[in-house]
Amino acid sequence: MRLPSLRGRRLVSAMLFAGAALVAGAVIGACTSDEDDQQAQATEQQQQQMEQQDQPAAEQQQEQQRAAPRAQDSGEPRGNTIQLVQDRGTLKCGVKQTQPLFGFRDDQGNVTGFDIEFCKAIAAAVLKDADAVEYVDASDASTRFELLADGQIDILIRTTTITSSRDMELDVDFAQTTFYTGQGFAVRKDSGIDSTSDMANASICVQTGTTTEQNVADHFTDIGLDYEPTGGLSQDVAAAFFEGRCDVLTADASDLASRIVVRDDADDYKILPQIISKEPLAPGVRDYDSDWKDVVNWVVHGLIRAEEIGITQANVAAMAADPPNTEVARLLGVPFGDGEVATLGFDVVDAQFIQRAIAAVGNYGEIYDREIGDAIERDCTLNALARPLPSEAVDCGPGEGGIMYALPYR
Amino acid sequence: MSEQPPIPRPEQRPLPPAPGADQRRIVLPPHRERARRPRSVRVREWVRKNLFPSTGGTLLTLIAAGIMGAIVVGIVIFVFFGANWEVITHNRWLLFAGGFPHEEAWRLWVSIAVVFALIGAAYGTWSSFGRRDHLFVLLVGGFVIFLMAHGGAAIWSTVYFLIAIGCMYLGYAVTIWMPRETSTLRTFQQRVVGGLLAVSLPLVLIILLVGGEVGPRHLDGFVLNLILAPVGIVGGIVLGIPLALGRASRLRSISLTCTAYIEIVRGAPLLGWLFVALFILDDVIGGDLIIRAMVVMAVFTGAYMAEYIRGALQALPRGQYEAAQAVGLTELQRTRLIIMPQALRISIPPMVGQAISIWKDTTLVTVILPLRELKGNADSAIAQFEFTPDRIEAYVFVAVIFWIVAFAMSRISQRVERAQGVGER
Repeated sequence: MRLPSLRGRRLVSAMLFAGAALVAGAVIGACTSDEDDQQAQATEQQQQQMEQQDQPAAEQQQEQQRAAPRAQDSGEPRGNTIQLVQDRGTLKCGVKQTQPLFGFRDDQGNVTGFDIEFCKAIAAAVLKDADAVEYVDASDASTRFELLADGQIDILIRTTTITSSRDMELDVDFAQTTFYTGQGFAVRKDSGIDSTSDMANASICVQTGTTTEQNVADHFTDIGLDYEPTGGLSQDVAAAFFEGRCDVLTADASDLASRIVVRDDADDYKILPQIISKEPLAPGVRDYDSDWKDVVNWVVHGLIRAEEIGITQANVAAMAADPPNTEVARLLGVPFGDGEVATLGFDVVDAQFIQRAIAAVGNYGEIYDREIGDAIERDCTLNALARPLPSEAVDCGPGEGGIMYALPYR
Repeated sequence: MSEQPPIPRPEQRPLPPAPGADQRRIVLPPHRERARRPRSVRVREWVRKNLFPSTGGTLLTLIAAGIMGAIVVGIVIFVFFGANWEVITHNRWLLFAGGFPHEEAWRLWVSIAVVFALIGAAYGTWSSFGRRDHLFVLLVGGFVIFLMAHGGAAIWSTVYFLIAIGCMYLGYAVTIWMPRETSTLRTFQQRVVGGLLAVSLPLVLIILLVGGEVGPRHLDGFVLNLILAPVGIVGGIVLGIPLALGRASRLRSISLTCTAYIEIVRGAPLLGWLFVALFILDDVIGGDLIIRAMVVMAVFTGAYMAEYIRGALQALPRGQYEAAQAVGLTELQRTRLIIMPQALRISIPPMVGQAISIWKDTTLVTVILPLRELKGNADSAIAQFEFTPDRIEAYVFVAVIFWIVAFAMSRISQRVERAQGVGER
């Protein structure tokens, strides 16, 4: 082959480059202009909404606007997760697989733990099959909300704290809290530390990139002391603390308790009574999907209500066959005497959804006992029932007591 | 100690081997030949010369010996007394296959047996097992059996693993027994084994995934590493050869396209491409996340392989191209018969480096993607309440497993290099 002259070759390559650049430009342009249009529309609509707050139509429009791109991309309606889940026949539950007690895997590879029971309960309620769950690994804290927003999971149940900024800024809505905890501190008993005011210049092991880190920084600013943070993943900082590489370990008090109680030298450590933050852990669903959020909410409330009125996994079938009172009948979706079934508006999942959830995993207290048990004390903590049954009344100290309180089914 | 007279050696040293014979035998130069004395004397001399040559040297030797001794003692104490290996033995299924359905476990064992038999056949055809290879198999086999035989119910997995090792030696025995003198038969044998090796990966994927209750999303634990890495490596080579030829092409449109592919893919880390698989490929090609991860692994490895092969193409002497042209071979024949065989041979070492690298990078799928491979399942094992204090054991185990496979890859590649005469021609 005869090579063309140098100038000719330069010309050819220049033209090729130009062509490639033009094509690339056209492609990128097409994509971005599309997005710009959408963004402009969205902004316009937000302004509209702000101007006409009394018109719910604007909100509906915006919901459609947000739902539209996803629907175009994959043909899945985004605004209606219940329909999506029922059409698919499985619930995609985003769970953590590395959190002791809450979300981990057993030796046979099954995903298990406290959070996972709620996945099963919701699958039983919505799909009539507690095993119709596809567990998607959302162990990585940094991509968990993305997985939810992107539609790769239907619900996120992985020890996620409700915070105002997450609720407002991210595409996530939180349902009823399933577990209340707060940030605490663990120290060695012989360290002489009794509260954070003894921690001047102490080295503190703290998980990075979480609310935990911000809380401890804010707390020490407030009390005007310096400290040395040692950061890392939660299991790594815990190991660092137990190997004596820092004086203090800070994390959710429940996490601290579960990591200490299992150790042979558990008696050498103590958890300070001081709690510096609120960490309500709740299931998350996508924004703009109230029906789905409502169902999740009422499943959790139903499990708590079942504990309040003594419906258990063992007696739920008998209760449903012969309900002792109208409330039990309402909750389980069965007629009382010759009356009619009260659907309570849950037509989309049918009236017996709570009954199926209880039959699958038991009531809230049963889930707690089975999955957490003695590892984290429940009596007199926030996770106890707000109104203990008279027969199980526990003497709690002043300021102690539970706040698990089910909303009425009527 | 009295000076012993030199013991006359009963046999003469063998002659230096002819070129092409076993290259591993060390031939001592004549001045060393003279120094042959009883073993005890030689050992003493070696020790004095290499370990205690002077005061400073002696000091260094003692310090080094102290440090090494402390490390060894530490490891022995940890392994046999300090560690609680129950976290591993209890979770061996979780670590091995995780969520793979139990009733379909035969697919795993058949796949392993097929692969082992093929490894044996390949050794029998192109090489032979040395003493060290047997030792390696024995050690790794013992290690695996120790883990799997813990607990009565696991006895069958031990049996299956032994059968797999049996298949390997069977494949080896059959191929090594075949006469090597008859060239047509030997060529036929090489073609058969080579062909089987070429289809082994699709074959294993078919055994694992076709029919029954299993799908790609059941690939889990160590099995996921074992699938992802070969798909990345084989897919990478398959993509890399045309890319390398394309980049070297004189047609600017082709070379620009290939160059753009290589530079764009190489320009971002694998981590970034896995994010692409997670959030962008989802809408572009869809499919199961594991399939997308496989595509990304192959595409990423392909860019690197292409560059190694292109480097080899450039390293080939110009005379090879010209000679091939001179005997009237077409472009295709020239590439297939003259250029590619030499280029691939030259690029074996860097390609093996890339293969080992991608093998270790399979752990990234747990870091970025919601997939659980060996390291991810080890994280899950230490999240089991009773094993939360045992994370060192779990990570040491994972590290050893990764090392075993990487080391085996390195050794097999050395075999291939030696058989191909890399660095000798």
